[in-house]
Amino acid sequence: MSWFMPVLVLLALLGAPLFAIIGASALWNFYQAGIDLQVVAIEFWGIAEMPILLAIPLFTFAGYLLSESGAPRRLVRLTTALLGWMPAGLAIVSLAACAFFTAFTGASGVTIVALGAILFPAMQQAGYPERFNLGLVTSAGSLGLLFAPSLPLILYGVIAEVSIEDLFLAGILPGFLMLLVLSGYSVWKNRAIRTPLGDFSWREVRGALREAAWELPLPIVVLGGIYSGTFAISEAAAVTALYVLIVDVLILREVRFRDLPRIMRESMVLVGGIMIILGVSRASTNFMIDAGVPQQLLEWVSGLVSDRTMFLVMLLLFLLALGAILDIFSAIVLVVPLILPVAQQFGVDPIHLGIIFLATMQLGYITPPVGLNLFIASYRFDRPIVDLYLSTVPFFTWLLVSVLIITFWPTLSLALL
Amino acid sequence: MNDLLRRLEATGRWTEDLLLSGILLALIGIATWQIVGRNLLGTSLVTGDELLRIMVLWLTLAGAVAASRADKHIAISLLDRYLAGWQLNGVRFLSHAFTAAVCGFIAWHAWAFVQTSREFEDTLLGGTPAWWLQLPLPAGFAVMTYRHALHALGFLFGRPPATPGRPKGPESPEAGDS
Repeated sequence: MSWFMPVLVLLALLGAPLFAIIGASALWNFYQAGIDLQVVAIEFWGIAEMPILLAIPLFTFAGYLLSESGAPRRLVRLTTALLGWMPAGLAIVSLAACAFFTAFTGASGVTIVALGAILFPAMQQAGYPERFNLGLVTSAGSLGLLFAPSLPLILYGVIAEVSIEDLFLAGILPGFLMLLVLSGYSVWKNRAIRTPLGDFSWREVRGALREAAWELPLPIVVLGGIYSGTFAISEAAAVTALYVLIVDVLILREVRFRDLPRIMRESMVLVGGIMIILGVSRASTNFMIDAGVPQQLLEWVSGLVSDRTMFLVMLLLFLLALGAILDIFSAIVLVVPLILPVAQQFGVDPIHLGIIFLATMQLGYITPPVGLNLFIASYRFDRPIVDLYLSTVPFFTWLLVSVLIITFWPTLSLALL
Repeated sequence: MNDLLRRLEATGRWTEDLLLSGILLALIGIATWQIVGRNLLGTSLVTGDELLRIMVLWLTLAGAVAASRADKHIAISLLDRYLAGWQLNGVRFLSHAFTAAVCGFIAWHAWAFVQTSREFEDTLLGGTPAWWLQLPLPAGFAVMTYRHALHALGFLFGRPPATPGRPKGPESPEAGDS
């Protein structure tokens, strides 16, 4: 009966959890098709047959643990020592530190909470306009999601069944492009406040390096380990989690033992929230694939557009709209299986599609009405949500320019493969 | 009676937290042991990798149960932002009652799946009856059914839980939830 789907859409808009909406749709579709509903449980059990998923809870836990330690402060000190001599240095420091941190915290909003608290007051004090500061911290909260080992990159690899190592490489140049574009805008915007934070000092760099000595091996362990072939991605995640646990709890003692259960629970609430959607979507996606939805979608799109460029324009418009209402994790799980075959028909490389998808969905974090970063920043900095809408407009515009470059210049994503 | 219920609730929460932390720590421990064993000692647990995959599923369920308890599941939540008072409570009741029903259905059919697996004497991990390992699937969804039913009742009787439903995010500590 066709009345059921509109009811589900209404319930979703009214705030019912997405996993329940997807689960209900899967149960309903299989029931209508006369298939035993055990299939939903069997598909959910399929989570236990995907080895790469091990990386998700482990990296997420490590990211949450890092955000509770002194790592954000040390990261800011180190970036200040390295980049603070530039004009509008603090803005560039903020962008670089946020991007680096987001790669590890998986673009879950942790960056704004952990780094925003340090960077926002510092920028206010340095005389940057408040609206600029708010916009910068809010937009930068998801800036690093194209850098390894971010959670959305891993999840896209799982769903699209492409090499996650390749995705990690493909994200590097587009990620730097976004960072450069926003840095350029920040320098231009604040050309009146040209005062650098200070002169470049080798002594300060050495001091900051020494202080961050425990965190510095992490990127080397993760990326070096993966690309030298020493670790699989899930193994790198296990080593990272254990390393951060030992360093922050036992050696530096910045995270207390009694806080561990809370940090574990908070990080696993995010993991459980994402993976339960993945579990129930496996059933609904399989139903849609059996029902020939990707083929129908392909026929429909082929009727509308004839070449690759037009397809990419349409894809961008679709993803921008999607990002405004759906979070990045659900979007990957629900939409990628449907658009991947269509994109391939139009000659879009699956790795390039992944980078386009994530870069565009990154804009969703700061797109009204439901951009997650807007709400977190509104809560964290105690400002009305409308202030945040307005403050992020220039950053949104420049990120959109980057997304256009990323989309129409595939070499940028594929050059390092 | 109320006291007994409160103590049962506290024990339940404690057990949920203990399971979640225990699974996560075991996951880190076993995964690291596999790497050390394979690379340095030339040996590793034969069924270790399979066990890790199953534990990821358990952890998913434990995390999802925690998300249900804190009412922090990922949601679109577009229209409810414009509601307040009894209308908001009504909508929240509806969405939790719906979620409880869906979880109940999945729990029921997951239980049937476990029964089937038991009848067919499926095994995993080199001989362990598969249904032992699959049991957390119906159990997890059953606990989620209970949590969402509890939230629904809370909104129905005007006693909403301490943390209002919002999309996930670490920004709002789960007040009174430890």
